[in-house]
Amino acid sequence: MISLQHAAPYAPRMSLVVADEDDDGALARRIAARAPGRDAAAEAELCRRLGPRIRLYGLKHLRSEAAAADLMQDVLVMVLQKLREGAVREPERISSFVLGTARQTVVDWRRSGARRARILEAFPVDFAPQESDEERPEPLDAERLRDCLAALSERERAVLVMTFYDDRPADAVAAELKLTAGNVRVIRHRGLERLRGCMSRPGGEA
Amino acid sequence: MRASCPSPAQELLEYWLGELDAEREHALEEHLFACAACSARLAALVDLGAAIRRELLAGRCAFVTSAPFIRRLKEAGFHVREYAPPAGGSVDCTVTPDDDFVVAYLEAPLGGVERLDLVIDDSTSGKQRANDVAFDAGGVVAVTSTAYLRTLRHSQMRVRLVAVQGVNERVIGDYTFNHYPST
Repeated sequence: MISLQHAAPYAPRMSLVVADEDDDGALARRIAARAPGRDAAAEAELCRRLGPRIRLYGLKHLRSEAAAADLMQDVLVMVLQKLREGAVREPERISSFVLGTARQTVVDWRRSGARRARILEAFPVDFAPQESDEERPEPLDAERLRDCLAALSERERAVLVMTFYDDRPADAVAAELKLTAGNVRVIRHRGLERLRGCMSRPGGEA
Repeated sequence: MRASCPSPAQELLEYWLGELDAEREHALEEHLFACAACSARLAALVDLGAAIRRELLAGRCAFVTSAPFIRRLKEAGFHVREYAPPAGGSVDCTVTPDDDFVVAYLEAPLGGVERLDLVIDDSTSGKQRANDVAFDAGGVVAVTSTAYLRTLRHSQMRVRLVAVQGVNERVIGDYTFNHYPST
């Protein structure tokens, strides 16, 4: 199952002494500039912003909620460690550095078969990334979703259900429905647009 | 190669489903890590997909699918109750607490058919028509909502497969399901 629910509750939100308009690079520069000391507020804010993106990357490539949560934790710890050591050459490009770290971690896990290095024991942290309001969608109304799914055309509903049952690409769904991949993409796109439109309307009229 | 902002929903979905080539996937990932708005849009898409899956697995979806998809459900360990009434015939059916899915195989000679509709006359919920359903040359595979079936007392459903060509319609198969609550 893929869910954006977190496996473990996060720590209480720290009081932030950072401006909302600070970009990710500015936060990274602040953390690097404070080394060897710590800028706890900047670290917490950076984790709040980047944590959900790392989890999403983990879900995409590992297809496991638990593994994605592990990846998020490990990558954030490694990134903060590098920032504190002054080992990030371009803090203003922190998002690229985080992505590179996430990619390498996934490669390493796959190569070694190891799931969870005990890096936290060697490098304790007193923060945890929090739900980011800007990156967390509103919980879906299951009843409305049911009505909106029922209002789709037969083929749209079939394609969406068969796609999201196990996140199948268009060519695999097409083979099962005796359609072309292009057809499935068109039906899938149209169905999703109609579904999202229905879900966003007051009352959920299809 | 730089992904545009905001990334189109179609591209985000193609990324999620592994349909992009390596170059486009890497470019989009660079963008997603730098762009909170597109990352949030992808998260919403993933959330919607997960919600559809929950509806399916909770037995709250009725849809016409294919035999290979049903095989995959069974291989994944789901309990699938299956009925295959002969054309023109009837079958007694039910749903038990152990059933995850109830599937009807409607066999009919569908070679040459361009569009097929499913007309259902349900003694409980009335008449419904599903237009342009998926089919192959051998027939139709229909998944019924187990959540709905569990609400039924004795009920009868007459299902007809109707081939549509222009303004002409032709009934190709007629099946009757006599539903009884599980005892």
